[in-house]
Amino acid sequence: MRVRGVDPAHPGGGALVRLFHVSKSYLAGSWALRDVSIELEKGEFAFLTGPSGAGKTTLMKLIFAAEQPSEGQIIVLGRNVGRLGQSGIPALRRRIGVVFQDFKLLSRRTVEENVALTLDVVGTPRREARSKVFKMLKRVGLQHRRYHYPLSLSGGEQQRLAIARALVNEPEILLADEPTGNLDAELTLEIMDLLVSVATHGTAVFVATHDAVLIERYGRRTVRLEEGRIVEEVPGRLGSP
Amino acid sequence: MRRLDAHLRYFLRAALHGLRASPMTSAVAVATIGVTLLLVGAFVLLVSNMERLLDRFGEDIQVSAYLEGGLSDAAQEALVLRVQGAPGVASVRLVSEEEAMQRFREGSAGQASLLEGLDENPLPASLEITLTPESRSSEGLAMLVADLDGVRGIDELGYGTEWVEGYARAVALIRGIGIGIGVVLALATLLIVSNTIRLAVYARRDEIEILRLVGAGRSFVSIPFMVEGFVQGSLGGLIAVALLYGLFRMLMPGLEGGLELLLGFAKPEFIGAEGVSGLIVAGAALGTLGSGLALVEGSEA
Repeated sequence: MRVRGVDPAHPGGGALVRLFHVSKSYLAGSWALRDVSIELEKGEFAFLTGPSGAGKTTLMKLIFAAEQPSEGQIIVLGRNVGRLGQSGIPALRRRIGVVFQDFKLLSRRTVEENVALTLDVVGTPRREARSKVFKMLKRVGLQHRRYHYPLSLSGGEQQRLAIARALVNEPEILLADEPTGNLDAELTLEIMDLLVSVATHGTAVFVATHDAVLIERYGRRTVRLEEGRIVEEVPGRLGSP
Repeated sequence: MRRLDAHLRYFLRAALHGLRASPMTSAVAVATIGVTLLLVGAFVLLVSNMERLLDRFGEDIQVSAYLEGGLSDAAQEALVLRVQGAPGVASVRLVSEEEAMQRFREGSAGQASLLEGLDENPLPASLEITLTPESRSSEGLAMLVADLDGVRGIDELGYGTEWVEGYARAVALIRGIGIGIGVVLALATLLIVSNTIRLAVYARRDEIEILRLVGAGRSFVSIPFMVEGFVQGSLGGLIAVALLYGLFRMLMPGLEGGLELLLGFAKPEFIGAEGVSGLIVAGAALGTLGSGLALVEGSEA
């Protein structure tokens, strides 16, 4: 993760995510994000941290085009997010896995159907989809709950379900907003190890978290936001897990 | 191809899921479409029977062409063919002199003395001409009269202009009222059904939002809802037809006597196959388009 030094003349070159001097304002005169420039490379794992209201969720939303920047340019997977048409946004989102802070699960569909949703969207044949879903549920330890409905799951299980849905389609970018907020210490480490392994397979992983212990333990590049601005960037430690 | 197949399977699965997951909302949508289409169907039933009644009256609009005396059978037959080719003629019937006399006798029972002392039949043979429905107007009648005027063998033409004008006015009035009520009813149906469906879609806005967030395009989100709308609309149409038929069968025995007295003609008939299929297709179209429109509105909001 690099904070400065982005070359606007070569958008998208090498990096999967590039933000150039991006600002976002929901109300005139108040900024949710202010002049943020960052890059995220293929296979990179990075943390985004900062207090509540610092702009972490807004930054994530800008990357998967749920919001448009008020100023600046965002290049994701070689596409300028500000210039995507009606069909461009879904096509981009199909290549990005997102773990939402509030999970965003379909309460009237089973665990299995929730995970299969991203495969249904890209038209994966049923048999292949079932096999992928089962493997993914096994990786997050939910295979025995596959016919249950989300509301019958614990908070931690719902979180793991959201992670499974984000990962099953093998996205090029994974954005995770507080993905371990509801997990106990042991499960947190399991899920974090899973996210790290996803990055080693080439996915760019961007994790928003408050958890300083977690950041310290994994020693990855960390971007710190406060009041919408990047106030600190800590490079990753060599030999981190 | 595999991708299309997978998508089609998903659409059907998702639609079925939607119907099963919210049975109450689905039932309300089906019932709303059913009841509103029942009103439309009742109106169609009324109008189709009024049309039949008007047709029936229209058949009474006849032109009589009185023939000259002494025409041979062959000449009379030739005249029948000639008149059949005239504009606006639906059918022609030859009434012989004897038949005319027979009718006169039957029509003037008790006054048989009128005919006593006559050596020969004074009544001429005639052609009774029935007009096509389109020609049952004073203009149509004028065209026919102009065509037949001066044809050799025809002595005189007899017709009632006032009756024809009255008939044409009645047809125009009933059609005008029919179209007016029909348009209001169709608009009301459209509004009620689209509102019901909009509420059903609104109740599932979270689902739509999540689908969009995981990269579903507009058609991927809409099609399952439209399939649901199609199923609900078709069911609503079927229910409307079943209720209408049930009510028709239940109410007709009680009304028949009165109607016969009032209209003096055969029993009212149920809407035909066209009407039945029209109601079901209208239900299916309302359901499908209603869902589609509600989603377009929802995604723009």
